[in-house]
Amino acid sequence: MPCIIAMAKQLIDTYVAELPPTVQKAVHQSTATTTQKRYQLLGDDFTDSDALRKLAGSIRQHTLEHLDTYLAQAEESLTTRGAKVHYAVTAADACATVTDILRTAGITKVVKSKSMVTEEIHLNDYLANHGIESVESDLGEYIVQIDGDHPSHIVRPIIHKTRGDIARSFEREGLGDYNDDPETITRRARKFMRGKYLEAGAGITGANFVTADTGRLVLVTNEGNSRFCLAPAKVHIALVGIEKVVPSDADLAVLLNLLGRSATGQQLTVYTEFINGPRRNDRPSGPEQMHVVFVDNRRTEVLASDCKEILRCIRCGACLNVCPVYRQASGHAYRSVYPGPVGAVLSPLLAGDKFKELADLPKASSLCGACNEVCPVDIPIPDLLLRLRHRAHEEHVPSPGTPPMAGFALLGSHPLIWRSAMTFGVAKDYLPLDKMPVPYLGSWLKTRTLPKWRGGKFRTWMKSRHGNNGGNGK
Amino acid sequence: MTAREKIFADIKSALAPLPEREARPTVPHGVADPQWLSGEVDNLALFKKRAKAVGTLCFDTPGGCVSWLFEQQTKLVFLPEELASLDAKFSGVVKLTHAYTRAQVDEIDAALSMAHGAIAETGTIILTDASTPDRLAALAPWTHIAVVRKDTIHRSVADALAAMPDDPNIIWVTGPSKTADVEGILIQGVHGPGVQACLLI
Repeated sequence: MPCIIAMAKQLIDTYVAELPPTVQKAVHQSTATTTQKRYQLLGDDFTDSDALRKLAGSIRQHTLEHLDTYLAQAEESLTTRGAKVHYAVTAADACATVTDILRTAGITKVVKSKSMVTEEIHLNDYLANHGIESVESDLGEYIVQIDGDHPSHIVRPIIHKTRGDIARSFEREGLGDYNDDPETITRRARKFMRGKYLEAGAGITGANFVTADTGRLVLVTNEGNSRFCLAPAKVHIALVGIEKVVPSDADLAVLLNLLGRSATGQQLTVYTEFINGPRRNDRPSGPEQMHVVFVDNRRTEVLASDCKEILRCIRCGACLNVCPVYRQASGHAYRSVYPGPVGAVLSPLLAGDKFKELADLPKASSLCGACNEVCPVDIPIPDLLLRLRHRAHEEHVPSPGTPPMAGFALLGSHPLIWRSAMTFGVAKDYLPLDKMPVPYLGSWLKTRTLPKWRGGKFRTWMKSRHGNNGGNGK
Repeated sequence: MTAREKIFADIKSALAPLPEREARPTVPHGVADPQWLSGEVDNLALFKKRAKAVGTLCFDTPGGCVSWLFEQQTKLVFLPEELASLDAKFSGVVKLTHAYTRAQVDEIDAALSMAHGAIAETGTIILTDASTPDRLAALAPWTHIAVVRKDTIHRSVADALAAMPDDPNIIWVTGPSKTADVEGILIQGVHGPGVQACLLI
């Protein structure tokens, strides 16, 4: 991407320019490999995986457009099975609800399973400020936590870190002398986390899906950490975005089959857990209390917008993996919890009155459409990006990095001027364009060579063609 | 206005302007079955094939299972009461315990538990609180062996979802615990078992 580095005008470009080449290479390699695995598995398993994506999209869209019904039904089903349901309008409300539950239960130590909504509401910081120790149990999320860093990928939070980085962090945290062998790193985390699981009073999780008719909370992990969070702990708190509801178990057959394949190229994620209430009295393990906190945090605003389709998202990360911009820029360039194409849509929408600060993200796309092609719920991401660009324009958000197009608008809307330009355009071949005092042109030409002028030929060709066909244009 | 009332009011006003709403799509049973599934005639054979593909070991006899545990130099094996029928085969070959206490979490390096069932399509083992009372015992030891009755193997993910038992915790286990968080390198045994096995009876 040397041309982007040279221009370095859009905010995302400055991140790309600062990204170490090793990280860029690692991100590119790993996203390309996952994309290939996904493609291979879907092709091997389904004659028409597109039809399945469209069906999944329709299930999700239907749910969203009847969210009041399904959310109420999910609440009833969960309550019937002994779970306590809470609602939180804002991120701060959600954090306060969790803290209240923990205080009432007298809990000061919790373990967490990976959840994007808890990232979104900055739950760990809130808990730490309220004297509650919260430990991330997913290996990647744990490393992000001890480094005071942020995840750079929805599924692979430390895609931007090398084994050397991790070994240094573990050494600093007293988990052993420097050792960058991935197996040793994993064993050390296993040992450390054992103690945390056994002493934690509560396990905090997100949810991949919640079924309305049966009240099942579905969690998928490869490491088994969500299961561990829900074995010794006395209290389970699940933070769930209100859009995570699906009508029934039968819909899960479609969604689970697509989620594992899209996210990691697996038929199914290793652990698929269906939680249907607190443990029953005669059982030795499992939480005695189950709390489900449904979080809005501006999702109802998104639902009211012309970008509501983004709420179909099942957080598989396939759009990140395939995106040519994400592959070059990595996740932190998106300056928000959700990176990549989904983030370029969702992050500005969830930003509320800070929309302007993230309004550049929808522009950081070539609109190539690959994100839509891989999306397991068929979200028309390029269309949504265009709608957000339009919104930024309407709200007069300045647009650095976009060259002024007034000259082209003049040419394009006046046939006479256009025709003259086509005739005289050949002059460009003889002008020292790279020396001209137009910054955009200069930086563009640093890495490109313009072809010889060929403008104006189309009209001549069209006229001759017209003549040859007796004037009827056929 | 409570948080609940506000959220529902906001959802309703967000949806009110929609001229029409997306109809509920028909989701035919098996619509997401892989295309090769129809060519498979034997659930047991398919389960074994798929289990192998995801890294789950399969034992056909208790004898085979216990000799493997012996070869692995397993220190202490947890055999729950409900599997007491296997006692005779196991005792004398490996050291057994019938109690799973928190104090022994680090000592017990292998545990057996009864599975609720399995899924042939994906080589998945299904555990429930009813079948496997102690969640920790099926998770913390390095080796977990789920005892699967051959007549409880579902053909597909869709079949398993259509026959979900009434249980507060159902977990599908498709291979050993794994991560690829560190530079994309696959490592098994992160939090859960590094070796996932099943004994078919």
